[in-house]
Amino acid sequence: MKLTRRHFLAWAGLSAVGAVACEGFGIREGELSIQSPVNLPEDLVRGKDNWYTSLCRNCPSSEGILVRVMEGRAKKIQGNPYYPTNQGKSHARCEAGVQALYHPDRISGPMKRGGNRGSGQFDPISWESEAMDTLNRQLNDRGDYAAMITKPMRGHLGMLTSRFAEATGIRHLAFEPVDNNVYRSAVKQVYGQDVLPDFDLENANFILSFGADFLSTWISPTRWNRGYGEFRQGENRSERGTLYHVDSRFSMTAANADKWIPVRPGWEGYLALSIAHVIVSKNLQASGVDVDALLGGETGRDILNAFRPEAVVHLVGITPEVAGGDPVEFIEKLATDFATHGPSIAIAGGSAGAHSNGLFNVMAASVLNWLVGSVGARGGVTLNPSGPWDGVPSSASASSIDEFEQLAEQIRSGEIRMLLLHNVDPVHGLPGSVRFRDAIESAQDLYIISFSPFIDDTTALADLLLPDRVYLEDWGNDIPDPAPGYQVAGFQQPVVNPLWDLDPRSFPDVLLSAAGDLGLGEQLPWSSYEGMLKEAATALFEENRGSIDAGSADEFWTALLRRGGWWDESASGPSAPRPRDGLLREIALNASQPTFAGFGGSGTVHLAPFSHNSIENGELAHLPWLQGAPDPVTTITWQTWVEMNDATAQRFGIRQGDVVRIESSQGSIRAVAFLTPAAPPDVVSVPFGGGRLHGSEWATDRPSTESSNVNDILEPTRVAGAGSLAWAGTRVRISPTGESVVVSKLEGTTRAVEVALSPAEEIIKTIAPGNY
Amino acid sequence: MRPTSKMIPLMVAGGVFTIIIGFVLVVLLISWFSNPPFGLGNASAQPVAFPHTVHVVENNIQCEFCHRNVTKGDAATVPAVEQCLFCHKDISGRDGEAQTEIAKVQQYFADEVPIDWERVHRMPDHVRFVHEAHIRLFTSDMTAEDAPRFDINGKQINGPIGIAETCTICHGDVGSMEEVQPKDGQSLKMGTCLDCHRWNNVPTDCTICHK
Repeated sequence: MKLTRRHFLAWAGLSAVGAVACEGFGIREGELSIQSPVNLPEDLVRGKDNWYTSLCRNCPSSEGILVRVMEGRAKKIQGNPYYPTNQGKSHARCEAGVQALYHPDRISGPMKRGGNRGSGQFDPISWESEAMDTLNRQLNDRGDYAAMITKPMRGHLGMLTSRFAEATGIRHLAFEPVDNNVYRSAVKQVYGQDVLPDFDLENANFILSFGADFLSTWISPTRWNRGYGEFRQGENRSERGTLYHVDSRFSMTAANADKWIPVRPGWEGYLALSIAHVIVSKNLQASGVDVDALLGGETGRDILNAFRPEAVVHLVGITPEVAGGDPVEFIEKLATDFATHGPSIAIAGGSAGAHSNGLFNVMAASVLNWLVGSVGARGGVTLNPSGPWDGVPSSASASSIDEFEQLAEQIRSGEIRMLLLHNVDPVHGLPGSVRFRDAIESAQDLYIISFSPFIDDTTALADLLLPDRVYLEDWGNDIPDPAPGYQVAGFQQPVVNPLWDLDPRSFPDVLLSAAGDLGLGEQLPWSSYEGMLKEAATALFEENRGSIDAGSADEFWTALLRRGGWWDESASGPSAPRPRDGLLREIALNASQPTFAGFGGSGTVHLAPFSHNSIENGELAHLPWLQGAPDPVTTITWQTWVEMNDATAQRFGIRQGDVVRIESSQGSIRAVAFLTPAAPPDVVSVPFGGGRLHGSEWATDRPSTESSNVNDILEPTRVAGAGSLAWAGTRVRISPTGESVVVSKLEGTTRAVEVALSPAEEIIKTIAPGNY
Repeated sequence: MRPTSKMIPLMVAGGVFTIIIGFVLVVLLISWFSNPPFGLGNASAQPVAFPHTVHVVENNIQCEFCHRNVTKGDAATVPAVEQCLFCHKDISGRDGEAQTEIAKVQQYFADEVPIDWERVHRMPDHVRFVHEAHIRLFTSDMTAEDAPRFDINGKQINGPIGIAETCTICHGDVGSMEEVQPKDGQSLKMGTCLDCHRWNNVPTDCTICHK
């Protein structure tokens, strides 16, 4: 056949079509393999989720939590509905626990100091070859001259740490930036208890609170918020409860109260005794209360008579404006309502206890509970039993400020040559007057080992970093303080492993390992912390009581972890408690007025610091969720602000957003002015927690105009009889610096729309104010 | 010969017809040659000698722990290397052979290289198979009024069965296979699907399975 041009083109076209078609007949490349991606997708929502119970360790109340884990990643934390204290509710601080777990600024593994002290240079080392050897060597060489600072620890970690300190001869101090020692002392003296009591808010009708911001930060806020919800709106209640809050700052509790009573700072005890006077003189005490015994006879009545309303009303600072009428009548009515509209509870702590006379203030308020028969009664103060294990601390208090001053001096003089730190930041949290940083920096021969998982102002000065696991990766337990009226033991379990690039080691396991290497196996006979906790669980199982019914110790352990803890509702606190004879007389006799060191005079105002609702006292400042969570009263985020009355601001020439210098005899800080009518004219308030200098950028990246540490300017006044710092006992001068910044707050950032405008006008006024 | 104007519509119709027939022919050819049935025969050696026996039988790990999507969606999915490291960060193997294989997995993760597993089971591209629906049928509760259920061989299944047992209906007892191969003596063809659907009173419309 002759190949014509036409035929050639036809065959060429057919061949091309055939080639293309046949190419498609084969199996595509990659069809016969399945790929395992390297990393799990972060946004994976498919798959199987697991929920584990554990404990939140972001705040001292250690709430029971449930953690949702998908594909080995902890995704969400919420309250454990079984856990007796918080019963399914949770604080914002708990929910931010996942940020601590996956925080980019976690210390990745053991490290030793590379540059000068405080330079922030650390070189990675390995646990096996260097870290543990260094720890053991330093414990051997310097153990006799060492101090260990931890948080106050309850449960088995508390026991283990104390035993380790005893066995090695290391001095053990417990540190809390804002401690509750005053309250603990008052509980001991007023109720005769070593563990804190609970408040049965659910069944109370009247709550009178003195300085305790129990709805935000004080002791166990989630538990009390739960009770408070019932107190106001409980389904089975016949009437809504009434809350009065006495405080010199408009706190979250004050904002929730029916009546906020802003008294002169430090005079809360006088008001409480005045209420006691009215109750006694009008015979309003609960039936069965032996007032004569409480007063210690007629002399007690005479002493109490000095606190009659007309005598104290000016001292306490209740003006007709505050009272909404005659102040004397106001106190009388308040006392009458408190005594007759029960069950009533008087709660005292926080700023009321943070004055030179703080112990008196808290005791005077607490004794009201005896007068109205609330102690041990339904809707009153629930006394608690001690923990379920002998020798295991169910309550832990912080060391006194004197002990820390002494420690600083010993570091300076070389008497202390080694410092062990676990999850505490005393350089930031101690008042400037202790000069703790200076003590460390001026020490000639000091070795610091930090077990904290994050760099903070103290860990930044360390020589050796041995990072602990964060709580979602580790075992633990806790005895809640306060317990809910009966014995509870909460258990914490690791819900995830540390991420692949992290190499932390559990602090208690490191202590046990070091104890083994140092030949202290007799005092610390456990091979692992998990084993120690299992042993503790077996001891509970063998008691054969409480919430878990199991056939074997293993079954008990599984049920324990599934529920998040063990509790025994029949193991309650002391029944039929009665007050010490002459208690009220003794308190009235020891009444004292607050004293203020440092500045005084008309150019000064009171400084009322307060714990921040979410970052607390700076311990959680590295968590961006908590920095970004608006303060519930001011709606401010990220900044350190100073709350002051508009009139006060005008007096000192300060406007909203001005950077204000706040100066005491100890130094000065700067903070952003927030003007509010809800501040007494002679009081300014600054949150704790700002001004961190080292560590995560979320804690440190604010300029000093917007973030400062109020601890730096606190006067070193002590609370008489309790050894704590009187952190609310400072007077300051305030002045504008001339600088001004935008207040980082939600409130007022959107234009308010006037009522009674037509919808169209509202829209125009809002979106195009220039055209309105 | 030059086409007359009368021939042009005829030619266009013929062209369109040829294109349609050609398209159908090409689709059929591609379907036949490019889509082997469910079992691919003996797969090539896997990049990591993963023993289902150790994981499933000895350690009692459920199928869906690794094949996370099997009860949730269409594909059963293989786990990410990171998921292997959940355990194999700490577990390094009891003997030399296991240690070598686990080290490979750890190396993949360290090098950030995905593992390309050799496919053992595969559905043709034109079939839509949803694992979740099939697992749900056999694992859900039954009442006395419910019609009986049958497996792919027509064997009656009484009451709900577990996920693992459901998997074995098509895949065989993977847990006891040192190396995964298609179910012995069972080749899944379209007829197998249709039979099972008919026995279980499930629709057999084309679009139920075909894309």
